[in-house]
Amino acid sequence: MINKDKEAKKTAMKELRGLRKSLIASASSTMKIQKKDIAAIKAFLKGGAATIPEIAAGIDMPTDKALWYMATLKKYGQIVEVQKEGAFFKYTLSEQEKNYEKAEA
Amino acid sequence: MIPTDIFNFDTLVVGGGIAGLQTALDLGDQGYKVAVVEKDASIGGKMIRLSKVFPTLDCASCITTPKMSAVAHHENITLFTYCELNSLDYDGSGEFQGMKALITQKPRYVDPVKCIGCRQCEYVCPVHIPDMEQGGLSATKAISIPFSNAIPQLPIMDIENCMLCGQCEKACPTNAIDYLQKPEEFLIASKTAVVTTGFDLLPVKDNTQYGNGKIPNVIDSLQMERLLAPHGPYNRVLRPSDGMEPDSIAYVQCAGSRDKSMGVSYCSRVCCMYAIKQAMLLSGSLPLADITIYYMDIRAFGKGYEQFYQNAKAMGIEFIKAKVARIDRGENGSAQVRYELQDGSGTATANHDLVVLSMGMVPGWNPEQPVCPVSKDTDQFITSIKPKISPVLTDMDGLFVAGAAAGPKDIVDTITESGSAAMEAAKFMSKSLMEN
Repeated sequence: MINKDKEAKKTAMKELRGLRKSLIASASSTMKIQKKDIAAIKAFLKGGAATIPEIAAGIDMPTDKALWYMATLKKYGQIVEVQKEGAFFKYTLSEQEKNYEKAEA
Repeated sequence: MIPTDIFNFDTLVVGGGIAGLQTALDLGDQGYKVAVVEKDASIGGKMIRLSKVFPTLDCASCITTPKMSAVAHHENITLFTYCELNSLDYDGSGEFQGMKALITQKPRYVDPVKCIGCRQCEYVCPVHIPDMEQGGLSATKAISIPFSNAIPQLPIMDIENCMLCGQCEKACPTNAIDYLQKPEEFLIASKTAVVTTGFDLLPVKDNTQYGNGKIPNVIDSLQMERLLAPHGPYNRVLRPSDGMEPDSIAYVQCAGSRDKSMGVSYCSRVCCMYAIKQAMLLSGSLPLADITIYYMDIRAFGKGYEQFYQNAKAMGIEFIKAKVARIDRGENGSAQVRYELQDGSGTATANHDLVVLSMGMVPGWNPEQPVCPVSKDTDQFITSIKPKISPVLTDMDGLFVAGAAAGPKDIVDTITESGSAAMEAAKFMSKSLMEN
């Protein structure tokens, strides 16, 4: 019975993948770009805390996009805001992220 | 196909914003069985997305969350969230005489019984999408719970952005992910219905003279509410183009309202007060910033509102009586505002780091047939047939309206009207009971 259910789900998922083929392709390509962008931001921040314009200039990304990613990474606890420099705040990798990076290495 | 699932209630409340919640509580507390149908994934409406409320500057979330929770835990109230209302009409045929609503439960792709709201699915999802709960200023995941105090605490999967990678399914400790979930139709039969569908803001992209939403750092007032909220996208007020703390912020009043070319010839009634409220909050969080409000008239009509306005002036917020003709891109991410002074002294130009447009309010729901035969006014909001003596009455027997669904209004008036709608619905039900 359990095997039958598993088989039915497998078939239904295969059908679903077929139906959503173009959506899956588009989401995958978005995810790949985002993964690269986020990796670039994190790599840049390994060099020390930086402001949004510094990060954007350092990795050749528009400032609004860099801020969009930074706001998101901050929400998910991967970066933290540190001190202010002029009219801009500086951001750095969170302790949790640093530990994760260490473990990965 | 006629749905087999039919639920019976005394009253159906359409919309789970503050008007709907108050109406449901007022009826539920009297012993009536109430269904609340909400199109969003969480109840709370616009109010739960605000930072603070005027003129008391109370935290909006601190007022709304207990009401949301009271509704969710009320023994006489049933919530149907993430639902589409397909039709709502009076049915006088057969034994049942009352309102019948055909509703579609949209799929969340998560089993609501199994899900424990732990967010493990959200944390592992690799796809980021614009978080519209934060005005698009930050991102969320393709599967996520809409916001931290959402009720119910259930995630939604955005299938347009899902890769079907299976990571959420693997991470879920209760096997709640269901990729194969389908929309389900059901019927709600009720003796009465109350429409509390609220409002939307006129989209900035429709406003050509203010840049169609393409000028950086020109945002709408609901985006500013998120910037001011403690759980906002940046946890502080920053310029969306580059993260700079703004030194000069401007409000453009009547951006869309009182403007026939935008199709909104009426006054949206709350923009003056929320702009003043936001300006006061900004002067608290950015004490050195210059804050300017460009206005045609200040309409401070409610209790304590005039004093609130005077306080804002005393705090140093600059009020310029002028009509803003256009907004263009300025230098270094600023926005250039060109305005005509209303005292006839001519035109002027100013640059601001951040510009907030007080966009006009438009109805949140279009009841056009075949959805519901209730009449709309010339302003497209639902018609009140007795606007002076009982503004909650519509031209359909047993169907009432409350809050911004009948026209722009503030939270105080919305709450009052919700109580009135609950009373009219209760009166209608006891009258029917006595007649039978």
